[in-house]
Amino acid sequence: MKYYDAIIVGTGAAGGIVACVLAEAGKSVLLLERGPALSFSDVGRDHLRNQRLSIYGHNAGPDLIGNPRVFVDPSGKSRVVRPHELDYHNNAACVGGGTRVYGAQAWRFSPHDFRMGSKYGIPEGSSLADWPISYETLEPFYQRAEWELGVAGESKAIGQEAPRKRGYPLPAVPASPQTIALSKGALKLGWVTTSVPLLINTEPYQGRSACIGCKYCVGFACPTDAKNGTQNTVIPRALATGNCHLTTEAVAERIEVNERGDVIGVAYLVASEGGPCRETARSKMVIVSAGAIESARLLLNSTSTHHPTGLGNEHDQVGRNLQGHLYPRAYGLSPTEVFNGVGPGVTIATTQFNHDNPGIVGGGMLADDFIKPPIDFWYDSLPPDLPRWGIANKRFMRDNYTRVLHVRGPVQDIPDPEGRVTVDASVRDKWGLPVARLSGTTHPATVAAAEFMRDRGEEWLRASGCEKIWSSQPGLMLSGRQHQAGTCRMGNDPKVSVTDEWGRVHNHENLFVVDGSLHVTNGGFNPVLTIMALAFRSAEYIARKL
Amino acid sequence: VTPLQQQTLQAVVDCLIPQDEFPGAYDAGVCDYLTRLLETDLAPELEFYRAGLDAIEEETLARFGTGFARLALDNQTAILEAIDLGDVITQWPVSPTRFFNLLVTTTAEGYYSDPLQGGNRGSISWEMTGFEERSTS
Repeated sequence: MKYYDAIIVGTGAAGGIVACVLAEAGKSVLLLERGPALSFSDVGRDHLRNQRLSIYGHNAGPDLIGNPRVFVDPSGKSRVVRPHELDYHNNAACVGGGTRVYGAQAWRFSPHDFRMGSKYGIPEGSSLADWPISYETLEPFYQRAEWELGVAGESKAIGQEAPRKRGYPLPAVPASPQTIALSKGALKLGWVTTSVPLLINTEPYQGRSACIGCKYCVGFACPTDAKNGTQNTVIPRALATGNCHLTTEAVAERIEVNERGDVIGVAYLVASEGGPCRETARSKMVIVSAGAIESARLLLNSTSTHHPTGLGNEHDQVGRNLQGHLYPRAYGLSPTEVFNGVGPGVTIATTQFNHDNPGIVGGGMLADDFIKPPIDFWYDSLPPDLPRWGIANKRFMRDNYTRVLHVRGPVQDIPDPEGRVTVDASVRDKWGLPVARLSGTTHPATVAAAEFMRDRGEEWLRASGCEKIWSSQPGLMLSGRQHQAGTCRMGNDPKVSVTDEWGRVHNHENLFVVDGSLHVTNGGFNPVLTIMALAFRSAEYIARKL
Repeated sequence: VTPLQQQTLQAVVDCLIPQDEFPGAYDAGVCDYLTRLLETDLAPELEFYRAGLDAIEEETLARFGTGFARLALDNQTAILEAIDLGDVITQWPVSPTRFFNLLVTTTAEGYYSDPLQGGNRGSISWEMTGFEERSTS
């Protein structure tokens, strides 16, 4: 039996940071990752099998075989789904988790995002609530994430952003023709805009190269390692201490408890020649950082005499309030070329509509988009009145791929407690473990906000000189996906939350959840920098307790 | 796939993405892409694909008394427009709209995705769209 100060399940945005902070504080850490470490060439550049467009598969896991989930559609019909299907709500399974292949937008949530319940009241049927902590509490940790991982951006806060105490370590990505077109439109409308903050080295930083402007950010790995995930920043730091042991392709089976029901360690499965091999490790602390769906699943699968419905689930809260983001998208045909072939592609945003929109709960950020490979553009971005085949379709691709302006953005999710993760014992993964069952939807107020934001997107494109404008609007659906959050929300009342403000599971001294699961609400922004900031805060607390 | 099915497929993909100043689907390698796809990820759909191609031939025979590949582009296009709408006059063993949708999406994939997959020969669609720099002549 191996003993550690802490066992961390998951190497994504949160797990990697917790490992780094604890290891650098001299604590012994076992860091478990269900997937492998993936090199640049492992991830590859397959345009049909990547984390952005996954028609036939993925490039960063999990494997299509042996990792099913059950998805229940809004009419109540359930079916088994595989990892590359949209309804699976996948996130990458590899060292670095989603940060290995993300687009790396590095937004802070705005101060209002931490008190949605007080600001708007609770829409009927929703579980909208305030966070137990404020923006001010998290601010030093946002700063820490920005500097320790490396964020490029415009240091002056605008719109709904709070003033920052320290600027970004790296200058913003350069403007492109689309930036200029959209700035002109925003100016006409009297909207303020900013550069999109990114966890990307616009200059060499911490011994790693600068971005070379290739066209493959979101969904792929970076050829110069200039995109900052946990796999190339905090995890190497953790390993360099000698205090952190990383075990890949190790799937946590259950969190183990003693005869009194106290958490004592983790049982996990490691692939070996003769089939899966069960290992057990003991620790003073267990930290679950497997992402909002898998973290909830692990707690729910960890049943025992003392915890018959799983750990932390006395009040049936684990897995509820699954959130992500609906993404309204607007497109316009610009009179001039707006594409210059220089990545990442996302350059300009407005945070003007994140709050205080008449009749709307919340709102969201709007930005231009990452460069889309042509097949992604063909699936995603063509006008609905264009024939899907024939010479007209080809001409449009030929003439307008470089002329389509595109704005989109994540809309603040108004959580619904019925949008949730449970486990389904009738369907097992290749390890024999009950799989995640996803059901419910976001709250209808989210859809209303998305419609409002789609209209703002169209307005922006019109003001930017676009002749023809079209858009797509998501309906009422479950919104988890790569921004999944909310399933083990933090709070002061154990009846309606799973953890305290540090991520410690109520009624447990040494069991923590640290990842997007903690988010009470998920902001109208890409959530990763908030996940990272919370991880720094919780990790410091855990280090003090060890 | 039989030679006739191959011939039909070649003519169909060239209707879906016809030749202009840039190559049509067949010359850009779309059939190579589809062959590989039907041996791998879409292997479970191979019979569906074959049945659909046979059905296009039957439909053409019933309407024009000849094979699809022999028709003029206008008539080929008219047939495919009818199939796209599910407006068929023969008995189809598979759903005409579902089959046609699969043809349209997989042809676009072969034409616009990365050349490593067998289609988009010489990255021609990337040059056409401007995703990669256009060679100046």
